[in-house]
Amino acid sequence: MNLYEASFLPAPLWIITALHIVTLTLHFIAMNFLFGGTVVLLLAKIHNKWENSSVATFVKLLPTAMGTTVTLGVAPLLFVQLVYGNMIYSASIVSGWYWLMISFVAIFSYYLLYAGSFTKTTKRKGTYLALSLIGFIYISLVYSSVFSLAEFPAQYHALYSNNQTGLAFNSDIGTWGFRWLHIVLGATTVGAWFVGLVGRNDDKVFTEAKKFFLWGMVATMIVGFVYMMTLGEHMLPFMRSAGIWAVTVGLILSLGSLHFFFKKRFLFSGIMIDISILCMVITRHVVRLLRLDGIYNPTTLPVDPQWSVFFIFLISFVLMIAVVWYMLRLFFKDTSKSAT
Amino acid sequence: MNYPFWDVDIGYGLLMSIIAVVHVFVSHFAIGGGLYLVIVERTARAQGDQLKLDYLKRLSKFFVMTSVVFGALTGVAIWFIIGLLNPAATEVLIHNFVWAWAIEWTFFAVEILAAILYFYSWDRMSPRSHIILGWIYFASAWLSLAVINGIITYMLTPGDWLTTKDFWDGFLNPTYFSSTVLRTGICIMLAGLYASLVAAREKDSLFRIKLIRYNSYWGLIGLLIAMLSYYWFRASIPTEQMSTMLERMVMPWVAQDQLRLFAGVLIGGFIIYGFILTKAYRTTIAILMMTMGLLWFGAFEWFSESSRKPFVIQDYMYANAISVASLEQTQSEGLLSAITFRTGNDGADLFRRACRSCHTIDGYRPVNRAYAGTDIEFIAGMIRGAKAMRANMPPWAGTEQESMMLATHIYEQIDQRHIKDIYDLDGAELGEKVYEIRCGKCHEIGGYNDKTESLVDLTDEDYNDLLDEAGDLAEEMPAFTGDQIERDALIAFFKTLEEGVQK
Repeated sequence: MNLYEASFLPAPLWIITALHIVTLTLHFIAMNFLFGGTVVLLLAKIHNKWENSSVATFVKLLPTAMGTTVTLGVAPLLFVQLVYGNMIYSASIVSGWYWLMISFVAIFSYYLLYAGSFTKTTKRKGTYLALSLIGFIYISLVYSSVFSLAEFPAQYHALYSNNQTGLAFNSDIGTWGFRWLHIVLGATTVGAWFVGLVGRNDDKVFTEAKKFFLWGMVATMIVGFVYMMTLGEHMLPFMRSAGIWAVTVGLILSLGSLHFFFKKRFLFSGIMIDISILCMVITRHVVRLLRLDGIYNPTTLPVDPQWSVFFIFLISFVLMIAVVWYMLRLFFKDTSKSAT
Repeated sequence: MNYPFWDVDIGYGLLMSIIAVVHVFVSHFAIGGGLYLVIVERTARAQGDQLKLDYLKRLSKFFVMTSVVFGALTGVAIWFIIGLLNPAATEVLIHNFVWAWAIEWTFFAVEILAAILYFYSWDRMSPRSHIILGWIYFASAWLSLAVINGIITYMLTPGDWLTTKDFWDGFLNPTYFSSTVLRTGICIMLAGLYASLVAAREKDSLFRIKLIRYNSYWGLIGLLIAMLSYYWFRASIPTEQMSTMLERMVMPWVAQDQLRLFAGVLIGGFIIYGFILTKAYRTTIAILMMTMGLLWFGAFEWFSESSRKPFVIQDYMYANAISVASLEQTQSEGLLSAITFRTGNDGADLFRRACRSCHTIDGYRPVNRAYAGTDIEFIAGMIRGAKAMRANMPPWAGTEQESMMLATHIYEQIDQRHIKDIYDLDGAELGEKVYEIRCGKCHEIGGYNDKTESLVDLTDEDYNDLLDEAGDLAEEMPAFTGDQIERDALIAFFKTLEEGVQK
């Protein structure tokens, strides 16, 4: 029954998919800085940690990282809902209250980051950051559970028939527990990279960052491997898909990034780790397609391109990059004169 | 119908409006505040006014804390809540306007970064560069509004889009330009209000008075622009839509009355406390003025939202997510067969899909109050005739059999005592209550579809005949199914009526 005429794509699927993958990668990079950086700062063993200037700089950067994470998170959510809206809306409605609370928990965490960044009492920094991290963990758990649930329509149908109040939670932890752990460990690894970058001239900070980067990567790889094992019936198709190539490239680049990071060659290391995040996003996309195979095929959606407005978007996208570049240049170059 | 239904005890309208009003209040300030900061900074620098620059620095901290954090994340909350409350309508919006949203996102990204850099660069950047950042912030924030406004107004007045389905027809719809000017006025007014809240705490009284006066100009000018363009906005609503609003809807006009009232209070407040008793404009007055601003803005949003009732997208999709195009099909083939997510309780599923977006059983806009003391047959008749109701309800989208299932579900949960016992009334007073419940939803005395004239000066036999034949008088009209007590009371009430009014 065709109840509404909305099921069309306003651009070819590949454009929307590409935009989703690119923007989600950018979101993950910012999120890794934020989440992983917070974890590393809290767990790192550095004498007089909160008085350390590199740590203080990083703490000051966290609210901006939060703003960047939120901003960069809007676009991938938009593009993924465009193509997989039916599944994502359905899964989020089933866990409606948890889903809605994300925004409010994020506000809470955001303000705590500012509190941590503004406070003059160094001891409180850790408390604010830890409370903020609790919020981030909540958000990550809900995201992982809802986005995994969206890949199992039969499961959200079953959950909904038992509970319509939006309080049903994806209890099939087997399908998303390792996925969540993988992304949390991955974020901690990349967070350590950023901590190392900020504290590159501080031996204590850089040593801790190396430790977290190395062991975080090992743990991420192990959990990623276990997560792959939980794919069950999708394992074999996955091994034959582009996903396995993305995983392989990601692994190699991660190891390369580790090598260059230890040598403090941040440009190479950063490019490699960012591309490995891109590979992870591609893998994630492939897994979604495999799980939905036979249930939903986005290539069957009719395409009715809105080229005129799409080109305006492209122009505004390029303008955005140019203006962001210009503003950052102003900010970092023009420090010659006090503004007040 | 392709989605689960989020069945929460809180009314959908209430939940949406709480989040939306809070967000728009902050997000509009985020735009006006940007303009205020950059203009005042320019003047302060030209005059070498360090006191003002220090104040602006404090204001920009407050500005970033509210707009970048709270504004941005409540915006995300709106995105989340619309997907939870009406995923079908959200999907229509996202498929038709995704590039508009994507464009808005590029402005939003620039806006957020510009705000952060502006705030952090007071002490490290040349004045010229700092002002450039301020202008970039304001431009991107306003452009963001200009884009989102196309989608918001499309829902009220989709215009030619209904036939062409063309992006630009939907985006540049009949109320787009008036609403853009109106919202720009709101931004300016809110800048004045927020800036006064920060200014009210200034210790130097002369400086504070100077600031409050200046900010009051912002408030007044913004309000003036907003009120004038409100009438332009109202005039841009297509005539047919406006006549339905005038004839059948109460809420937009209540909202309009409130809009005028709060505008009056705000103008008075700006004049009295902004220019005459300026010394008294301290934190308490500032908070009161902010509250008035919030109420004014809420009234406007209420007018705008309630004007499109019973649609979520005017003439395209009803508030209960049933599209106009699919109505005929669901009416003939049944609503249940169109529901993908069934729970095993058909009555409850029908209630969720047909009614629950706007009504609860006993909470927000309760059906209990509407139908307590009545019977299944009457409720089913009212459901089938929903489109004739004064409150401008969507038409019933199911079959006759489904209306009985839904009526049974409602009946099982409402107060089943006799109307007489529920309201503890007798005689004509009871009759008036019976009229209100059984007739008044479609025939308002002295108002919508008034039939008082045909009820005046009839004999008891005429009244009884009229009630016996009620179900045959119009397609949407249910039969009179009340018992003899209700019948006698209703007739007693009819006898109190004079032409057009009650005796």
